[in-house]
Amino acid sequence: MIRAHGLRKSFAGVEAVRDVGFEVQAGTIFGLLGPNGAGKTTTLRILATLIAPDDGSAEVAGFDVLLQGEEVRRRIGVVNGGMGLYDRLTGRETLHWFGGLYGMSAAAIEARIEELDGLLDLGDTLHRRCGDFSTGMKQKIVVARAVVHDPPVLFFDEATSGLDVLARRAVLDFARAATGGERAVVWSTHVMSEAEELCDRVGVIHRGRWIGEGTVDELKQRAGGARDLEAAFFGLVRDAGALDADARGAGARDARSDAATAAGGHEGRRP
Amino acid sequence: MAWAVARKDVLTTLRDRRAIISNLLIPVLLLPTIMLGLPLLLGGLFQREQASLTQVAVEGQAFLPDALRSALEAERVELIAVDDALGQVRDDDVAVALQVPEGFAEEVTAGDVPRLRLLRKTGNLESELAAGKVTQAIESYRQDLVAERLRSAGVDPAVLEPLTVETRDASRPQERSSGQLSWLIPFFIAIWALAGGQMTALDATAGEKERGTLEALLVAPVRRSEVVVGKFVATLLSGLSAAFMAIVGVLVGGMLLRGVFLPRLGDEAREMAATMGGSLSIGADGIWILLGSALLTAAAVAAMLIAVAMFARSFKEAQTYVAPMTFLLILPAMALQFSDLLDLGSGIYLVPLVNVMVLMDDVLGGAVAGTDVLAAWGTMLAFVGVLLAFALRSFRREGVIFRT
Repeated sequence: MIRAHGLRKSFAGVEAVRDVGFEVQAGTIFGLLGPNGAGKTTTLRILATLIAPDDGSAEVAGFDVLLQGEEVRRRIGVVNGGMGLYDRLTGRETLHWFGGLYGMSAAAIEARIEELDGLLDLGDTLHRRCGDFSTGMKQKIVVARAVVHDPPVLFFDEATSGLDVLARRAVLDFARAATGGERAVVWSTHVMSEAEELCDRVGVIHRGRWIGEGTVDELKQRAGGARDLEAAFFGLVRDAGALDADARGAGARDARSDAATAAGGHEGRRP
Repeated sequence: MAWAVARKDVLTTLRDRRAIISNLLIPVLLLPTIMLGLPLLLGGLFQREQASLTQVAVEGQAFLPDALRSALEAERVELIAVDDALGQVRDDDVAVALQVPEGFAEEVTAGDVPRLRLLRKTGNLESELAAGKVTQAIESYRQDLVAERLRSAGVDPAVLEPLTVETRDASRPQERSSGQLSWLIPFFIAIWALAGGQMTALDATAGEKERGTLEALLVAPVRRSEVVVGKFVATLLSGLSAAFMAIVGVLVGGMLLRGVFLPRLGDEAREMAATMGGSLSIGADGIWILLGSALLTAAAVAAMLIAVAMFARSFKEAQTYVAPMTFLLILPAMALQFSDLLDLGSGIYLVPLVNVMVLMDDVLGGAVAGTDVLAAWGTMLAFVGVLLAFALRSFRREGVIFRT
């Protein structure tokens, strides 16, 4: 359902992503694991056709992200932790407006809202203006908006950032349930426990470099029998860092990466 | 799809109470107030000053000739004998005063040239009006004296008038009635196109970035060009509604002045009020050209707002970016009040924004050339196109859309 190969992207001379490639099968959740500034958001933005890679190729739902952007966008839903809503629209108006952008009829949108209400317990959020929402309520509508057109591919980018425990649980459960059928989900996070709980396969990315991928058990094994995913992550990154001469200049690179983030907009700002 | 984008931005603007007040209510209330207020204030003041008894302090009243006293009283002037005329005017006890030197009446009778001193406050309207009445009385007295002296010398006073001059106003009716404030109309239209469109434009660009809604919009199957056009249309509608309300305000102000207030003023006060721009009258063609020019002004302003505000990280930052745009609009509008002193030439109709303001000024003055309309509108359409292309380029630049 998703295929990325040799993706590269630089901002102001700093490589945010270099040689990233992975595949995600339908009906699975693929975890994109890495610390802030690793290149996860840049990768997802390339897949969502928001930015163009400097090199490499990617297909989403059978369409080329560079050549068939509109077809790709028709088939994806994106949720990230920094997404907001229009304060002066109600939840229902928000979903109708976005549904309209996907060419859905008002009746089809209304039927989908009923369905999503059952899945996400939208309740009050539908008739209240979004400006009055709590963070949890807001994220429910953000998720509902992303899936209002029932897309075959879903991207979650730090989607639980800033949520309380109940709202976080609701989003995690929804993501898990979302893989039913033929849907492919990419779950980008720096929270190891989320990846461990949700993901069928996990790709580790660090300083823009693709460190490796596999099931959680495979990664633990590859890291010398690490006790959990966090230990496996550090083991894999350390191994990769030992091979990477520029790891010694990590501090300087971090500073440059921050500057590039400000100018070009990849991740690193969210907590 | 562009209309769907515009519809949402218009709806969110309409639900903003501040936008409704500043876009719709203020222009329709403020313009008639300004249009009626100043001319009526001046006209009323002039009429009152003409009709009321004006107190004039006179230092040396005993030396005032009887004929001059009568001439002053005929102008509805009340003379008050004082010892310090200068102090009276300085302290605002009276608006104007006369200093009559000792022996003034005798010197006049003897055929000498005595000096009468008129004291007034320059820049004080009440003092200027009172001084006008006194000067008129003195002039009347002086002419009587001249005539009397000529007759006593056996000369017909008519010898002093070897010719007469008749002055006629050659301006068009619209030009005559548009008055000195006509430059304010294009100014208000431009300013309200900016003020009205600003809130929508900033909310639809920098506001979307700040809220984190822009990314959600851009991952929907909407082309960037449709996003730009949608946001441009929403901004244009907001700016246009405010500019339209400004024109309504002008027309309502003009109608109220002509129908209700001017008839109550005296002839001279009515003329003064009209001179100050109180009775604008625009024909049907003029209204269409005015509306077309307002539309293009609002379109250019909307395109500029979208193009500029998109660079900002936040609504607040965008406000600082668009603030200088006010000067871009104010400066040409201010220059219009001196347009009759400037040789603008036809080239002015090819300068974006300035051209439509000059065109609106022409409409209000009743002198519009078809070629100038075509030149100005054509230039403006091209200008709007260039600005929209620039805005689209910004919406396609990763460094701009993710600059948060």
